[in-house]
Amino acid sequence: MIELGIVDIREIIRLIKNQYDIDFSTFALTSFKYRLEHIIAKNNLTSPENLYRKLTDHREFFDTFIHQLFVPSTEMFRDPSVWRWLREEYFSNMVNEDLINFKIWLPYCVSGGELYTICILLQELKLLNRVKIIATIFSDTSLEFIRSGEYPLKKIEISVENYTRFQGAGEFNDYYKLEQYAVRRDASLIKNVEFIKDDINFNMAPRNVKLILMRNVMIYFNPTYQENVLYKMHNTLSGSGNLLVGLKELIKQNQNSHNLFETVDINESIYKKKPN
Amino acid sequence: MNYKAVIIGGSAGSFQIVTRILNSLSSGFPVPVLLCLHRLKHVRSGFVEALSLKANIPVNEPYDKEQLKAGHAYLAPANYHMFLELANRIALSADEPVNHSRPSIDLSFITAANAYRDKLIGIILSGANRDGAFGLKKVADNGGVTIVQDPTESEVKTMPESALQLTKVDYVYSTDQIIKFLQKL
Repeated sequence: MIELGIVDIREIIRLIKNQYDIDFSTFALTSFKYRLEHIIAKNNLTSPENLYRKLTDHREFFDTFIHQLFVPSTEMFRDPSVWRWLREEYFSNMVNEDLINFKIWLPYCVSGGELYTICILLQELKLLNRVKIIATIFSDTSLEFIRSGEYPLKKIEISVENYTRFQGAGEFNDYYKLEQYAVRRDASLIKNVEFIKDDINFNMAPRNVKLILMRNVMIYFNPTYQENVLYKMHNTLSGSGNLLVGLKELIKQNQNSHNLFETVDINESIYKKKPN
Repeated sequence: MNYKAVIIGGSAGSFQIVTRILNSLSSGFPVPVLLCLHRLKHVRSGFVEALSLKANIPVNEPYDKEQLKAGHAYLAPANYHMFLELANRIALSADEPVNHSRPSIDLSFITAANAYRDKLIGIILSGANRDGAFGLKKVADNGGVTIVQDPTESEVKTMPESALQLTKVDYVYSTDQIIKFLQKL
């Protein structure tokens, strides 16, 4: 695999900023570098210069580039105990409530792993058609991928194990069917999901959201931008809305953001908006 | 020589060795110790506690962007890659597995080699696949010190032998020799 230097990466960031008005200097450098190297290899570009050229001369490539740049979720039902918490501590109390304005937002969808997971969870509680789910995507390629239901075969095995640990109400293979080289998830699960195409500034964020699922997203941002994103999430949430982040993403009490959220469950990385 | 970090990779058969190494380091060890060990994806707790039991230095699973401290050991958390970011920070990633592994020893070693250059000591222990061989080569290419556990002593030889095939390493050491080397830092 071609290895990029700091100068190459700065050049790519500058080029994208100029041509497409997206600022990737907010990303964590090491994982950003690794993704760019992966894109160069995957598209047989063989050198950073070929990537510059492709980004400059082939604007239609940019959508694919964005899809390949963002890291997809690892598997469905990752960290089963988090999903159990959502089912048992969170949604189980709401079955008899009026949920007409109940919004759930996933600010970062690439492969739809977390999106399909929350839809399955809600389906099993018979809440799927009673809440509003909004998913932000960054490219049409990602949207097509998610809507097609396609899913890599190698991720299914661990997803099945996770679902068993989640102790779901059904059989996991009710939610997908096997094809020759892949798996197709049941796309009817996401038929009522509203998709928003945005960039990493989250300027199109919805308002008055009750629950944000943003697990293992902030790890790809630098510390300054992480703070910035937390402010945006705070503004997006309604009065006592909840934010779920990855198990190793700590919203620290000594950061500026410490006034924004209080901890609900530190082991499962569940936070709650502090009122303004 | 002023080293900045020690990084250790291992898989099957390495747990006892890592425990012995950690138990032999005194508090006030001059650099951070990074541990990238293959582990079960879904088992979150227990591992770091077992490694900490008799260690004289604190061992923990870092949060994303945590700042490294000398005399602390950092274990790559389950189901994350552990990268070394600029400014002595850990950066976690949930990117695709490499060599069927997440955490990937190669990725931890490559990013550490980029961050610390010739100020890094890389150690590969017992293990059942080739992960780490390429990463150790990057440590050598950047002028860092490379050590491989003696395959005749390793419980599972594949990992140390793969590392030795790819790189002319500085030292092939028994566990006792690795410990002595680190105690002199």
